Amino acid sequence: MITLEKLDYREALRYMGFQDGKADPNTLSMLEECEKSVLENSVPRYRYGVFDISETENGIVVGNTDLILQGNAIRKHLENCFAVVLMCATISGKIDALIRRTQLEDMSKAIIINSFSSVAVEQLCDKAETEIYSSLGKLYENCYKTWRFSPGYDDLPLSHQKTILDILDTPRKIGVCTNESHTLTPIKSVTAIIGLSHTPVAVSKRGCVCCRLKNTCPYRKAGHHCAE
Amino acid sequence: MLNKLLRENPFVILDGGMGTQLQANGLRTGECPELFSITHPEIVRKIHRSYIDAGSMIVYSNTFGANRYKLAECGYSVREVVEASIRVAKSAVENTNCLVALDIGPIGQLMEPTGSLSFDEAYDIYKEVILAGKNADLIVFETMTDLSELKAGILSAKENSDKPVICTMTFEENQRTFTGCSVSAMALTMQGLGVDALGVNCSLGPEQLKDVVSELSHWTTLPIIVKPNAGLPDPATGKYDLLPQDFAVSMVNHIVPTGAVILGGCCGTTPEYIRMLCQALVGVKPVKISTQIPSAVCSSSRTVLINQPRIIGERINPTGKKLFKEALRNNNLDYILSQGIEQVHAGADILDVNVGLPEIDEEKMMVRTIKGLQGVVDVPLQIDSTIPKVLESALRVYSGKPIVNSVNGEEKSLESVLPLVKKYGASVVGLTLDKDGIPKTAEGRFAIAKKIVQRANVLGISNDDIYIDCLTLTASAEQEGVMETLNALERVKNELGVKTVLGVSNISFGLPNRELVTSTFLTMALQKGLDLPIINPNVASMVGAVRAYKLLANIDKNSVEFIQAYNNTSTPKTPSTQNHQNISLDYAIENGLKKEGAEITEKLLETLSPMDIINNYLIPTLDKTGVAFEKGKIFLPQLIQSASVSQACFEVIKKKLISENNNPVSKGKIVLATVKGDVHDIGKNIVKVLLENYGYTVIDLGKDVDYEEVVKATVENNVRLVGLSALMTTTLKSMEETIKLLRKHCDCKVMVGGAVLTPEYAKQIGADFYSKDAKESVDIAKKVLG
Repeated sequence: MITLEKLDYREALRYMGFQDGKADPNTLSMLEECEKSVLENSVPRYRYGVFDISETENGIVVGNTDLILQGNAIRKHLENCFAVVLMCATISGKIDALIRRTQLEDMSKAIIINSFSSVAVEQLCDKAETEIYSSLGKLYENCYKTWRFSPGYDDLPLSHQKTILDILDTPRKIGVCTNESHTLTPIKSVTAIIGLSHTPVAVSKRGCVCCRLKNTCPYRKAGHHCAE
Repeated sequence: MLNKLLRENPFVILDGGMGTQLQANGLRTGECPELFSITHPEIVRKIHRSYIDAGSMIVYSNTFGANRYKLAECGYSVREVVEASIRVAKSAVENTNCLVALDIGPIGQLMEPTGSLSFDEAYDIYKEVILAGKNADLIVFETMTDLSELKAGILSAKENSDKPVICTMTFEENQRTFTGCSVSAMALTMQGLGVDALGVNCSLGPEQLKDVVSELSHWTTLPIIVKPNAGLPDPATGKYDLLPQDFAVSMVNHIVPTGAVILGGCCGTTPEYIRMLCQALVGVKPVKISTQIPSAVCSSSRTVLINQPRIIGERINPTGKKLFKEALRNNNLDYILSQGIEQVHAGADILDVNVGLPEIDEEKMMVRTIKGLQGVVDVPLQIDSTIPKVLESALRVYSGKPIVNSVNGEEKSLESVLPLVKKYGASVVGLTLDKDGIPKTAEGRFAIAKKIVQRANVLGISNDDIYIDCLTLTASAEQEGVMETLNALERVKNELGVKTVLGVSNISFGLPNRELVTSTFLTMALQKGLDLPIINPNVASMVGAVRAYKLLANIDKNSVEFIQAYNNTSTPKTPSTQNHQNISLDYAIENGLKKEGAEITEKLLETLSPMDIINNYLIPTLDKTGVAFEKGKIFLPQLIQSASVSQACFEVIKKKLISENNNPVSKGKIVLATVKGDVHDIGKNIVKVLLENYGYTVIDLGKDVDYEEVVKATVENNVRLVGLSALMTTTLKSMEETIKLLRKHCDCKVMVGGAVLTPEYAKQIGADFYSKDAKESVDIAKKVLG
């Protein structure tokens, strides 16, 4: 089981718009308390599965499942990959309740807690990835891995969410569901597709090109990136 | 039939895993297992048969996920799939004594407020399954994690079928489900709703579930079901670690001693596991646990034992509160919820909820309030209304075991309220009054209490769930009545063996130093045996009286609670409490000094008019911080800190206006909603704070709002500006539909915002304005409403 012990302040501040870890004294004075309540209310859980993939005309077929990954972006992302890790991680619905409650008590605190919660689920994904690789065993030793690609990035349909959750049995195993609009619930949950390859993969990171917010993104306008 | 099985066998044996068996017979990962009943009935039948041969007395039909949400794209209707599944199960049990249970799992979406599935939708989805599965012998809900969803299912089963209903939830080792439901809450709620057996399934192996089941046995007198996994899975391979023989031994060693009598297996178990289990149980006797269920009420995550004085917070009630009434009229749920949170922080164990006001739809408001409170506080609720229909609607959506406030000695009340209490498994407050009013004497009130208790008992409501209120009269008007109340309370407690409840605040009405009189009366009542004082917990001396009583009466052992409450003398961490004579309102706002801001506003009100303060102090400062935000000099948390101070200032102004019977200032009404299908609402809430700061009245419809509801609120309130928010690309469609409908029925401007929106797209879907952030929404409001 993964536990989160420390959250990245700099990253949380960046989600709030502050640059280089600098912020006003009021915000800074609230960070520690907000981090603590996020850590106290997070229940980190994840699920994953490893599947061979094959490229077809309709898209990339994932193992012996109904999932066929559509679009050009994922095709490019998984170039030269022979398998994928499908994963789903969540820090639980207790965080949803915390954010709901804090909004009624102190909205500025809620904004900080919301940012820390996003940081928390990303840190969980990082840790989960490490655990996953170490448990993959011989067959996947010395593999190269792509970064985490999620439904909704670029042209990968959000409608894949439900299929991925079904494959990983997440509603039953870790309590992550989706709804008609393909929103993941609890709110701080992530699904991701990681490609495995025998040859080095492009080191490109999640960037602005595949992001749906690229036209209105405040970071981008200010000349920054959100994936550094 | 279930009872017959239980009578005739020491243990009732269920089946094992279905999914794993189907996979072994060709089901692909992620594929819909229920369709096998149509496409491969012979395989499903074979699996059922193999369980029956292994010793199962009840088999679960292959219908776990056969609901309209999960089957949406499979090409078959719920009816087709469920009927086929029951048919094949029925054919498998032919010529045996084995029963078929209609197996029902979670719908696959999270319930409100974390998800968007409503109680009524869940009820309907389950109803469809239950009607289609009418030929089964009993109904089982399993692998449930949300008490509210389970309750929707149980009510649906009870109201649409006469078959026995059993249920199991899935707990983790911390004895909670994924949604935080506790074992005691499940037991109290489900036993109250009248299920025939209950228990746990999935998640863990028998050994790890031992403590969960043992806890359960303290909270229920019903037969207990345990259907564990075949141990724990290997994370990489998914293979479970217990062999059939080990599983069987573990069941006998760890589960049987907890008193469980209905046994089976879940993930990873096969007919072999069931066979081994049956063999291991030969000669084993069930363990009888004699359980006395404690007197308690609960939310889904917190159980409050009524074994010592517990505080019921009385503040969610419009009586005599102008601001509260105004909040009800404006549908301002946030105000009401804040009152709930404040009381819990102050020490309330239970919250009374009364939202009755003649000019509003009390039923609708009550349901909204109950749902809202459940999302932000974990204490149990007391549903307070004089209208049975309001009580029932609230009882349906309440997740847990609530208190109904109230029934009285009048025939009409007894006949309409007590059956509801019984049906929904609640506790009830009984008021000692009847058609002739409140009897003057203790004797008279005792007689009514006795009648209420008898009538409740006849319906099967136990004394532990009856809380008698001997009614506080005002000391200034009826001084001789004070001791009558207390003496009646003492007799009710000692002679009727029920619990007592009392609202105490009335006692001091019309007297000076009310607080002293009230807290003294409270102490006197506690000494007479009061279990549930209904008080204002925000008054420190009231909560203090309860805490001190518990210490002195040796209830609060070693004074732990008392010391915890009062030993914390460290000063709160507010940034500055310097002499605010020297600071200005704009300084307070810019620096997030809420308390100081409110105090300065109060001072200013002595010489200036509210509008002067708003126009000359609040708004210019807010404009200044708004510009700083726009220029990237300050960021969202700072903008909102300033907004919060300004909000506190507004509250002061509002209070003053209302106390002088003036209408609160408003620059116009704005409807805000996060559109249908979208549950991300923090952005919309930020916009709300800012708009309110500028003096606009926001009608906040919440998240996941139906198109029609937006139109209705806009028309009814004659609103000229509507703000819609959406975070997902998939919900932009809802935004477009909402705008279309608004255009048909209203003459209003529409502003839209949300992460994935662009100005171009806003135009395309017919919005008048694109708002890139909260600040811009204020600029738009100024343009439209002035």
